[in-house]
Amino acid sequence: MARRYDSSTTTFSPEGRLHQVEYAIEAINNAGTSVGILAKDGVVMASEKKVTSGLLAPARTSEKTYKLCPHATCTVAGLTADANILIDQARLRAGRYAYQYQEPIPIENLVEHVCNYKQAYTQYGGLRPFGVAFLFAGYDIHHGFQLYQSDPSGNYSGWKATVIGANNQAGKSLLKTEYGSSSSSGDEMKTDEDPAKEEIEMPTTAEALRLAVKVLNKTMDGAAASPEKLELFAMTLDEDGNCVHKILNAKEVEAVIAEVESETATAGDT
Amino acid sequence: KQYYHNRKMSILEYNGAAVIAMAGKDCVGIASDNRLGIQYQTVAMDFKKVFKMNDTLFVGLAGLATDVQTLDQLLRFRMNLYELREERTMTPQVFTNLLSNILYEKRFGPYFAEPVVAGLDEKGSPYLATMDLIGAIETTKDFVVSGTCDGNLYGMCETLYKPDLGKEELFETLAQALLASVDRDALSGWGGVVHIITKEGVMSRELKGRQD
Repeated sequence: MARRYDSSTTTFSPEGRLHQVEYAIEAINNAGTSVGILAKDGVVMASEKKVTSGLLAPARTSEKTYKLCPHATCTVAGLTADANILIDQARLRAGRYAYQYQEPIPIENLVEHVCNYKQAYTQYGGLRPFGVAFLFAGYDIHHGFQLYQSDPSGNYSGWKATVIGANNQAGKSLLKTEYGSSSSSGDEMKTDEDPAKEEIEMPTTAEALRLAVKVLNKTMDGAAASPEKLELFAMTLDEDGNCVHKILNAKEVEAVIAEVESETATAGDT
Repeated sequence: KQYYHNRKMSILEYNGAAVIAMAGKDCVGIASDNRLGIQYQTVAMDFKKVFKMNDTLFVGLAGLATDVQTLDQLLRFRMNLYELREERTMTPQVFTNLLSNILYEKRFGPYFAEPVVAGLDEKGSPYLATMDLIGAIETTKDFVVSGTCDGNLYGMCETLYKPDLGKEELFETLAQALLASVDRDALSGWGGVVHIITKEGVMSRELKGRQD
């Protein structure tokens, strides 16, 4: 039944669905996972680098994390070729806004622009949608640190923590239980407190990095985490109030992985 | 309404400016005056015409003030885009070519600004360049000038310049050349600013000059 309504982006199915958009989302669920977590003092994004062949030349640049402007960075899940187009769009938009208003672009504004661009491919022209989902991490003076997720439909939402790509449901369920609980005492027993009464305490950037690695450990199906497979990114402010975009180097990634391992080891003993 | 005079004032002289850059030993210096005028009326005494593009690259823009500001903003935009896409910093040579390209695009309706580029290349050697308002590039080893008193500036540089000056001496030379030149030009002056760029950083100093 769906077959008749799924070859054209610009046609609704009788159930009110856009099948091409849904198939695009399917394509992303086969791509390397990316998790984003909002912290008190920054945003972290951790991504799984899917190595398809040992013969591939070592990448000089990232295939997952891209800087968009001085105060925003994104990670990608999905078709890299599609992502490159949208990333360039985002960079141009941020640059033109700054040129016109002599002010940094508000993050939601940037995200909405990229999403509006994606939406056009679900309504006009008979072209297929972009097979990419993004996590946008950014800072502006209006709303501080922010994390957004967007998908091929052109829909976006702000998150405290979220996952895109392979096994994202498993990642999200882990975040639901672990994000915001007093993470300093990681081996505390979960009580049956009323969720509405529980205060969500935002983690620090360091705690968020550890949680992100934990999530990837789960989504990567127990494959051993290592700096070659993970890309860790953290955005914070320096003392002058400028954004610092940091992709952790191999040693720093090792350190975070080790911390997570020892945390889970002690938690297992309780 | 302007005072009576017999020569038609060109658009490049509408606001007044003086910009100068010199090469020293492993350093470059760039300086400008502070005056912003509307023909003979002075309107601001803190309008600087040198802009930092990054720690080792400065550009000075002399000419119509609106174009000076616009070019600064445009160059920042283009440079940012370049660094995002290429994931590396722009060298002074590439920057100069970019600026030339931007100016020539408006060949038949140009930006009324004549720039001066001063920086250190990847090896840390001094780089100087200038161009006219439609982007004709000239690179030199010693000094470049631009502005309403460019004739005066050329004369002062030719006299005072010596190759391989250290940063303190370079500062003195630039300051003297600039101040003496603007004092004989009604449209530029009201003090100035000098930046000396070395591998270690940038040293910036305000110049006290005749406030007339």
